[in-house]
Amino acid sequence: MKGSRCRLLVVLIFFLFLFNSCSEKQDFDQFEDLSITPTLASGIFYLESDEATINAAGDVGVFYVQTINFDAFNEEFVAERLLEGTIQYELENTTTKRIGIAIEFLDENGDVLDVESFIVEPNMPEVFTRDVFYGPGGRSIDILTTTSSLRIAVGNLSDSTSVSTTSDPKIKLSSGAEFLFRLK
Amino acid sequence: MRKGIKLIFVIWFGMHALYAQNKQLLYDFNEIPQSLMLNPGVKTSEKWHVGIPVLSGLSFQAGTSGVTVNDLFADDGIDFTTKVRERVLDAMTRKDDFSTTNQIEGFYVGFRGRNRPDDYYSFGMYGETDIIVYWPKDLVLLAFEGNGGANIGRSFDLGDLNLRGEMVNVFHFGVNRKLSNDLTVGARAKLYSSIFQFQSIHNSGSFRTSPGQNNVYVSSIVADMQLQTAGVKGFYDILDEDTSTTTKDLTSLFTKRVLLGGNLGLGFDAGFSYNLNPQTTITASILDVGFIYNSKDIQNYTLRGNASTEGITVFLPEDINDVNNDLWQELVDDIEETLPYEENNSGYISLRPVKVYGSIRYDFGEANGRSMENCGCGVNMERGGGKSGIYRNSLGGQLFLMKRPRGIQPALTGFYQKRLGRTLSLKTTYTVDKYSWTNVGLGLNLQAGPVNFYILGDNLLSYRNVADSHYASLQFGFNIISWNDN
Repeated sequence: MKGSRCRLLVVLIFFLFLFNSCSEKQDFDQFEDLSITPTLASGIFYLESDEATINAAGDVGVFYVQTINFDAFNEEFVAERLLEGTIQYELENTTTKRIGIAIEFLDENGDVLDVESFIVEPNMPEVFTRDVFYGPGGRSIDILTTTSSLRIAVGNLSDSTSVSTTSDPKIKLSSGAEFLFRLK
Repeated sequence: MRKGIKLIFVIWFGMHALYAQNKQLLYDFNEIPQSLMLNPGVKTSEKWHVGIPVLSGLSFQAGTSGVTVNDLFADDGIDFTTKVRERVLDAMTRKDDFSTTNQIEGFYVGFRGRNRPDDYYSFGMYGETDIIVYWPKDLVLLAFEGNGGANIGRSFDLGDLNLRGEMVNVFHFGVNRKLSNDLTVGARAKLYSSIFQFQSIHNSGSFRTSPGQNNVYVSSIVADMQLQTAGVKGFYDILDEDTSTTTKDLTSLFTKRVLLGGNLGLGFDAGFSYNLNPQTTITASILDVGFIYNSKDIQNYTLRGNASTEGITVFLPEDINDVNNDLWQELVDDIEETLPYEENNSGYISLRPVKVYGSIRYDFGEANGRSMENCGCGVNMERGGGKSGIYRNSLGGQLFLMKRPRGIQPALTGFYQKRLGRTLSLKTTYTVDKYSWTNVGLGLNLQAGPVNFYILGDNLLSYRNVADSHYASLQFGFNIISWNDN
């Protein structure tokens, strides 16, 4: 009898122990506050031309013009989540030419939304950089989200005969971007 | 009747929640018939047993070697994004995982051979779900932080994606044989009926954005990734159709798969118990050495190749006559061509997660005869076996190894078992594994006449705050057991 009571007591204690669990208060609604804002980086456009090509265009001036469909920004997924961004341009000119560059941001109707212009002096000793910020305090983010194509025009503002004495003289336009997105 | 069966399957399906692969409390707890499922060579003593359908063996477990629910969702006033960053992104590594397993017995019957009383035969059916997802650290970082800013130049490892899961119904038949007073061996054949399976376990590759040779940035990706699925698309299609018969269709497909209508496989378990001396026993078993051949309802996804881009590039004079204004789309097309995302329906073999147990047990504190009367110490004692089973106490250690996608996952257990007369037996364990270093478990086996009830709870210290637990496990069940002619 005494043994049975002892065993019963052991069982009761066991169950009390096993099921007497507790938990601190949890707030699962906090998930709504989660903020995921990655910064995505990508090269956008690169143009390189040798001096001979510039001279070959003669006195026409503009030796390269191209309109490129560019829907990367206005894809629905991107446009809805784009918070801000910076487009970085780098220019390098080892030719004897003064070069003019215009990058036009066009909407789907071909209307110009924004223009980025550069005058690049000849024989630049170092790389010229320009960062253009889009977003609060900068240019409108709508420029990017409605851009459907880019028109790039590059012209020679100098003569068409001079030749640089440096080896392999070129004009180079590089561009890349870092954009801040809100995934959540 | 048919509705009844379906109802059982639906309950079964719904209860496939969370449980433990390592059942250290149940292992070698030979008063419980289900211990035979962990070691076919365990010392059996009963004449026969019948598990109460669906209730004879239920076990649930969830484990995380990294962050806990409480770490993230405690109502502590800390900004949630900050908690995610500090406690997940900065703390967890690619070795951490989230795992969940459960097992529910449909039925389980055992009986001693009429002409060969040293043989104990058992058969049954149980369902098992096993899912493990390793923390895809680099991919999460890529999503959270992006490839820009401080991550320029960083290589993101695509091999961090590693996951595996399956739901399987198992039909089994086992033989347990006492070869001598000191040695008992056993084996179990298994027929697997897969309900679904998926795995993405051999991925490799990297993604990196760095300063370009020409342009500001170059992004490079090398990928050899694959997700294999079997049996998933069938369920997905039904859910996607979302018709008035969705529930019925799901139940029908599930029932079909449970009853050998899906992908099938074979496997076996084996084990032994050996008395080194009358008070010391060693045991070992290997479980689920098997495979499933997945050939039906296959849908595989691959991403293989390499690509590198600096954006749209124009080189003059080479490209002077290229007036194509779809250069961006060409760039996208080129990347897709060199890094194709493809689908296929090729069959594949999936291996079951092999488990190995080993133990050494020292028995002491010999019981008097009266307290062990009718105790179920049947064949292994009555027929001249050692005194194992009539001792009041057992002390020992156990080793558990499990094959996981990223290698062997070990666990080490020390245990103490106390037998209180013929009706009650308690076992307590302390286990160390990757999920917890403070895992204290407690198990109880209660024998009330022919009715056997057991309950085994793991990681009891975490019960103070379950949400802060890295590991939780509960097993319980009912059986009807007969010893000798009782």
